[in-house]
Amino acid sequence: MSYIVPIGPYHPALEEPVHARLYTDGEQITDAEVFIGYNHRGIEKLAQQKNFIQTIVLVERVCGICSHSHALGYAMALENIAGMNVPKRGQYIRVIMNELERLHSHFLWLGIALHLIGHDSLFMHTWNEREVIMDMLEEISGNRVNYGMVTIGGSRRDIDDDKRRKILEMLDKVEKSMIRLRDILLSDKTVALRTQGVGVLTTEDSIRIGAVGPHARASNVAVDVRKDAPYCCYEDFEFDKAVYHTCDVFSRVVIRVLENFESIKIIRQALEMLPTGPINLGVKIPKIPAGEYMVRHEAPRGQLCYKVVTDGSEFNKRVSIHVPTFKTAPTIPTMLRGNSVADAGLIVASIDPCFSCMDR
Amino acid sequence: MQEYKKISITRDEVVPTAEKMRAAGVALAMIHGFINDEGKPNVSYEYEVGSGIESYTVDGESVLPSIAPIYDLGAEWAERELVELMDITFEGLDTSKRLFMPDNMLDGQGQIIVTPMDELIDKAHGKKGE
Repeated sequence: MSYIVPIGPYHPALEEPVHARLYTDGEQITDAEVFIGYNHRGIEKLAQQKNFIQTIVLVERVCGICSHSHALGYAMALENIAGMNVPKRGQYIRVIMNELERLHSHFLWLGIALHLIGHDSLFMHTWNEREVIMDMLEEISGNRVNYGMVTIGGSRRDIDDDKRRKILEMLDKVEKSMIRLRDILLSDKTVALRTQGVGVLTTEDSIRIGAVGPHARASNVAVDVRKDAPYCCYEDFEFDKAVYHTCDVFSRVVIRVLENFESIKIIRQALEMLPTGPINLGVKIPKIPAGEYMVRHEAPRGQLCYKVVTDGSEFNKRVSIHVPTFKTAPTIPTMLRGNSVADAGLIVASIDPCFSCMDR
Repeated sequence: MQEYKKISITRDEVVPTAEKMRAAGVALAMIHGFINDEGKPNVSYEYEVGSGIESYTVDGESVLPSIAPIYDLGAEWAERELVELMDITFEGLDTSKRLFMPDNMLDGQGQIIVTPMDELIDKAHGKKGE
């Protein structure tokens, strides 16, 4: 018997503002469609009415998880238009914030995946670790979510020796927990049964559709903007592109675990090599000439694109934002086909979607 | 630093450029659109060439060929979004279903980028078209 199963927006099995229609034959999904735009806030339109400093505050609110990434993407686009050279200390602080953000985002996703798998004890353990990182972000910036750490021309707040010591101590603790978590995740029967062979996105399909970030790397596609098009001095640090080959939900779990270790490695190097000098260029409302630029940034969920057009005034002519979910969500129907309805929520969640971010 | 290079092309060069890039294994980063000083669409196809971006831009054309047959869903979603946010038609693109905007928003044509802010606010509050 064939059915069309509507899911969402805001469904108990998928607490995200997205609507999916599953075409099923009994329990098996034969095809699917995805509809977005349920949390559109007109942020790009609003940005056309704001000056550059106001826009940093605005774009931070595109996403509650990767707010630093949005502010950074926007600032980098303007800095490139104006030909600014951001001080190295400011760049390193940006890297530290990027990687702390990636750590807490990956812990968040691991927790959600474990909750959907039905492993709630491990979900709580994972989020307990995330809290440690959130506390550190609050200590550095004063905020848990919208950190306000980015300004045009550098970083707004410094990381002093005391904070540097605290971050290193925190990383030691988190790394220990990650090792334990890795051993459980990679050997647990429940995790394996619910994730292995589920929601497969082959390498060919990933390249064909143009997936990005951890989602592509979990399909054995070695793309990472930090390595492929370095920015913010990422070329100064030694780290590996985490790639895994099973192309299923399990592969996406493995990628997040591996990437957490790489992020810890990067933060440690950035703290140890933190240069002396200013953290920004000291300008409040900078003069930005007429021009346009597009930058790419490896946000926790993948490649984040910011294109900014200016006309020489203190306002944006156009700000165009394209988030990783816009490139990974089109893979959902391909991953769903041939799977059971019971796995649909987990498969959609496996892209680490941020539909609010995508709707902007 | 990530390099950014802007290259102006005509609408007839859109598909050959996409075919050349796809054959070379170049990823399509995004398709962006905005309104130029004459109030006409400006559409940029942003390709990831090496560590930089090559932005192939078509200015002043409101009807363009679709590159979805070449870049699949990566281009299709970007084109469908532009159709719903701006006054642009992509020839060959299936727009029978909405992707982004609800069906009842702005008479079925999103065009959010070209609509003045106060008009958008009025429509959001149901003051227009009642």
